[in-house]
Amino acid sequence: MQKTDKSLADEARRAAEERALAALVSQYASTLYRVAYSVLRNAADAEDAVQETFLRVLRHRETLCEVRDQRVWLIRIVWNVVLDRKRRMKTRPETDDVVELARVLPAEGLSAEERFAAAQHHARMLACVEQLPAKERQVMMLSAFEELSSVEIAAVIGITESSVRSRLFRARNLMAGLLDHARSLR
Amino acid sequence: MNTGIRDQGSGVKAAEETLWLIARLHAPDGLEERLQENLRRAAPRASSWTAWLRPFNGWMQSAAMHAVAATAIVAVVVGGCWIVSSHLPAQSSMAVTAPLREVAPGDFSSAGAKRTPQTLDRPLVTAPVVAPPAKTAPHFKAKTGSKAKGLGAKGLRD
Repeated sequence: MQKTDKSLADEARRAAEERALAALVSQYASTLYRVAYSVLRNAADAEDAVQETFLRVLRHRETLCEVRDQRVWLIRIVWNVVLDRKRRMKTRPETDDVVELARVLPAEGLSAEERFAAAQHHARMLACVEQLPAKERQVMMLSAFEELSSVEIAAVIGITESSVRSRLFRARNLMAGLLDHARSLR
Repeated sequence: MNTGIRDQGSGVKAAEETLWLIARLHAPDGLEERLQENLRRAAPRASSWTAWLRPFNGWMQSAAMHAVAATAIVAVVVGGCWIVSSHLPAQSSMAVTAPLREVAPGDFSSAGAKRTPQTLDRPLVTAPVVAPPAKTAPHFKAKTGSKAKGLGAKGLRD
């Protein structure tokens, strides 16, 4: 049976879309994973979130050509996915964070004890970050990604650039207060 | 005070360093391959999900078709409501008329008296009316004045 021109064109289009998607995966999978991990702080959960992000892209692949900045667009999708997952998840106990951080953080030249102490320190810092109001916390977390400018952070969250700056300023002030409070309790 | 500010700054910096550290973590090995593989497996399912919608894509783009679809939805909703309301039985009135009791000759009758239902649950307490003492004097004066009307102004003066 001979294929019609329409079905051939459809197949060609589908193949092109799949190629474009594969290119997106190889280019941005790592960035998306790091964004997901910074919120979920669990390797398996972060990988699942990235997978879900690309599945969403696959479902809307017809619109891929209309996207102007694919990197920011993908980060925005993964950001929404991880926030949604985080909302549904129960709060992770701090001990889990310590174990996970000790496992993943780079530890060249550190003894096991030093490594655990460093993980504990980072877990304490992250616990303080968790206490920040959601808006301030989100901006602070995204600002840690060197590849994201304040304009891009604004695009990811859906606010203006000046709001990003003011939220970051507020986040730092609140963080200082929280750390002071934590220090006085110790 | 400067030390305090420096401490605060260093604390915030430490927290930001933790975030930077996490932001710079490497993705696990084989992540890309796993993602590609899963997407390859999910691709036919994703296309079959949306395939049946494709013929409508162009069709639903025009504003006229949007209007027609909206009108159809409104018509269905209104029609459905009308059908439901027209099939409902007529609601009986809430008040129930008491049947007339026929009085046989020789029986006691109510003599046309109607029963008034007790609408209050609690016994009616009537508060004793106490006239305020301040108002009694002028009232009394006025009363004497009205009584003294017949005597005339002169009698009062006396």
